[in-house]
Amino acid sequence: MTELRRILHVEDDPSIQAVARVALEAIGGYDVLSCSSGAEALANVEQFAPQFILLDVMMPGMGGPETLAKLHERIDLKDIPVAFMTAKVQPGEIELLRDLGAREVIIKPFDPMRLASQIRVIWEASRQ
Amino acid sequence: MESTIPTQAPFAPRELSRLAALLRYEILDTADEGDFDDITQLVARFCDTPIALISLVDEHRQWFKSRLGLEARETPRRISFCTYTIEGEGIFEVPDASQDPRFADNPLVTGEPTIRFYAGIPLTSPDGFNLGTLCVIDRRPRQLTAEQRDTLERLGRQVTRLFEERLQKHRHAEQAALQQALLDSAASAVLVIRPDGRISSINTAAEHLLGYSEQMLVGHSLAATLFSQEALARRAAMLSSERGTQIEAGFDVLTAPLQDGQRTMREWRLLHRNGSEVPVLLNISAIHDEFELLRGYIVSAYDLAHQENLQLQLQQIAAQVPGMLFQFCWRPNQQSSFPYLSEGVEAIYGLSGAQIATSIGPIYSAVYPDDRAPLLASIREAASSLSPWHFEHRINHPRKGLIWVEARATPLRQPDGSVLWHGLVTDITERKAEQLELDKQQEMNRRLLEALSEAVIACDAEGNLTLFNNTARLWHGLDACKLPPECWPEHYDLCQADGHTPLPWEQTPLVRALHGEHVRNAEIAIRLDGVARHVAANADPLFGSDGQQNGAVVVMHDITERKRIEKLQREFVSTVSHELRTPLTSITASLTLVCSGTMGAVPEYLQELLDIANQNSGRLRALIDDLLDIDKLYAGKMHFSMAVQLLQPLLEQALRSNQAYAGRYCLGIQLSECPELLVRVDARRLQQVLSNLLSNAAKFSPANERIELWAEPARDGRVRVSVRDRGPGIAESFRGRIFQKFAQADSSDTRQRGGTGLGLAISKELIEQMDGTIGFDSTPGQGACFWFELPTYGRGHAKDEART
Repeated sequence: MTELRRILHVEDDPSIQAVARVALEAIGGYDVLSCSSGAEALANVEQFAPQFILLDVMMPGMGGPETLAKLHERIDLKDIPVAFMTAKVQPGEIELLRDLGAREVIIKPFDPMRLASQIRVIWEASRQ
Repeated sequence: MESTIPTQAPFAPRELSRLAALLRYEILDTADEGDFDDITQLVARFCDTPIALISLVDEHRQWFKSRLGLEARETPRRISFCTYTIEGEGIFEVPDASQDPRFADNPLVTGEPTIRFYAGIPLTSPDGFNLGTLCVIDRRPRQLTAEQRDTLERLGRQVTRLFEERLQKHRHAEQAALQQALLDSAASAVLVIRPDGRISSINTAAEHLLGYSEQMLVGHSLAATLFSQEALARRAAMLSSERGTQIEAGFDVLTAPLQDGQRTMREWRLLHRNGSEVPVLLNISAIHDEFELLRGYIVSAYDLAHQENLQLQLQQIAAQVPGMLFQFCWRPNQQSSFPYLSEGVEAIYGLSGAQIATSIGPIYSAVYPDDRAPLLASIREAASSLSPWHFEHRINHPRKGLIWVEARATPLRQPDGSVLWHGLVTDITERKAEQLELDKQQEMNRRLLEALSEAVIACDAEGNLTLFNNTARLWHGLDACKLPPECWPEHYDLCQADGHTPLPWEQTPLVRALHGEHVRNAEIAIRLDGVARHVAANADPLFGSDGQQNGAVVVMHDITERKRIEKLQREFVSTVSHELRTPLTSITASLTLVCSGTMGAVPEYLQELLDIANQNSGRLRALIDDLLDIDKLYAGKMHFSMAVQLLQPLLEQALRSNQAYAGRYCLGIQLSECPELLVRVDARRLQQVLSNLLSNAAKFSPANERIELWAEPARDGRVRVSVRDRGPGIAESFRGRIFQKFAQADSSDTRQRGGTGLGLAISKELIEQMDGTIGFDSTPGQGACFWFELPTYGRGHAKDEART
């Protein structure tokens, strides 16, 4: 199985961005590109060529779902699993987000100690 | 024996007049009468003849009123001798009929009675007609002596006189009979009075009226017997002064007016035989004969007692009728009058009958000035169209002040062109006052409804809108329209509470109320110009005074603001919690990373501080989670994944999850018995409850004690799960509030033990929303036992259900 190395993380909150990066890089050992907005993500996605995309839902301007849709247009997401991260958990929203093509919805606040393994589980599941 | 008998005896001139004169005597074919037989006897004796006849000659025959010596009653005129007699004047004599060519062939000569001698004298009526003869007949030829002729003449005159007399007597008798019949058949009492004032006859009606029989009164003075002398005297005095002549108090009082040619009709009181007074209307008329001589008087008395009774009855009935009964005679362009007015005229107009007797002016004056012209106009109108009249107007009553009356009358056109009205006027002041009051109240109600900030709409039993206040018009942007209820949602743009789904017409609150339902707080939306206004409607059926439903009414409150606030509130918690979580994520994540040593070893002097920070951020997160949970629970928006499952594994799971935590405080959790039962729960949420109860128990448990966890069957097929600790128990002050939010906030010693203060409140909601009950038993100083009960399910019900 291909190893997971590169993760694209789109998150507008700098604190969470920083924490997630530490959690993924220090604990998971991944390469993480943190983008503060959907636009920034779109600009860098082709060049970075991520193997996994982690998307915040609530972002000013282009939200997570919209970013995902635009990413679809930009690159082929067939082999790239996408997970949403969100604090808003209304009933049915998780279903909605899954319907958009995300494999998993990670609830905030996330456990930084487990984030990396959560990603790995999703990655391995997608390979099957 | 055919001969030269003339077929017809010669006719006298003026024959028709003669016949008429004869018929006038009504004597033909009457019976024999003694008076006439006496004459024939006399003349036969005097003239010494066997036969004597009184014959009357009519058109075809001679008929014998009296016959002596002859059987036949009549003979044909053409063979009669008398027919010759009546042609002439004076005696007609035939000495020997057999020798007389006129009679030789006459059967009465040739045969029976073989007449030879005839002598007859015409019977001449006063107007000069010869009606017949008095004649004598012999069988031998002879002649009358001069004396005999003279006798014949005289007796002839007597016969004529007898005719007259007889006729007069008959006429008299006839008249008398007719008179009597007339009198007797008259309804009025009639008395026939002689010129001297004495009673000559009375009829049956008079007998009944006065109590006398005719015999008792005949011959008595009318004035003296039947009249009161004082009354006569009074009248006499009046007449005397009127005429300037002395009138005696007697019969003259009654007859005096007649002299002026007046017919008098006056009311008198006659004296009944028993002494009582009989009120009558008396009419006296004089009887004159053909010579203008006074023959007497006819007095007719019309019984007024009956009339008086009727009048009294009418008065009594009229007095019962509230108001004034009237008869009004309206003459266009002339003086109108009131032929009849009941006593109610005082109550209505404050007038007496006497005041209006001569003119209706006082009535008109009593009418309130502003109403006079309309009153006249309405009368004229009703009179011209002969339609029933109905008019309400005001009257200035002298005693009562200004009153309202209602007048009604029906007209009857009279032959003389006037209109006779029969009507009733009633005082409706009270009713009018009530009406005005009602109108005022209704007006006030109407204004109130218009001023309300709620929309009020009402309809009748058929669904026709009867009320559509200002606010309703504002909200719908429309006025009330005549549409059946099925069309209302579309026309008025009604939606369900979500603001866009069209409302099914049966669910319209007003329609539901129309069907008898009492609707409370039905939320619908009214769209206008694309904007939905959220309203809460209360609707009720309306009932009439007969208890039957006669409509419905709906009152709608604008809840747009309320809804907006609710939405904000709903979103507030999730918005806030989201806002709170975001920085919290960073805090806890950072602290976790540092405390875990991932970033490197942590200097000891920093460890404690970092641990504190870590713990508290954890607490903060737990608090936010709990807040979100309780909010969801209260809003009924928590998502439960219910499944029927065995209880025991759930308890074992709880044991495992919480054992470590419990071990920090005491000897740990001990799971005792658990029956093999199925419950229907959301496993995750049940774990939440169990964790809450077990962690609470741990916090309060003495270090050397265990926490007990077990399950046992309870009443009604339920199972009770219990968690017992040997701690201090629940204080008395706490017992009522223990399941409330932040109940432990006051209690200082529990604050140290952590917890959000929401745990039990959340547990209660969770258990209750899973159809269970929760409670506790505790004796202070002897620990506490928290329990919850859940319904159990039969085996084989392992269905997954999701309940929102």
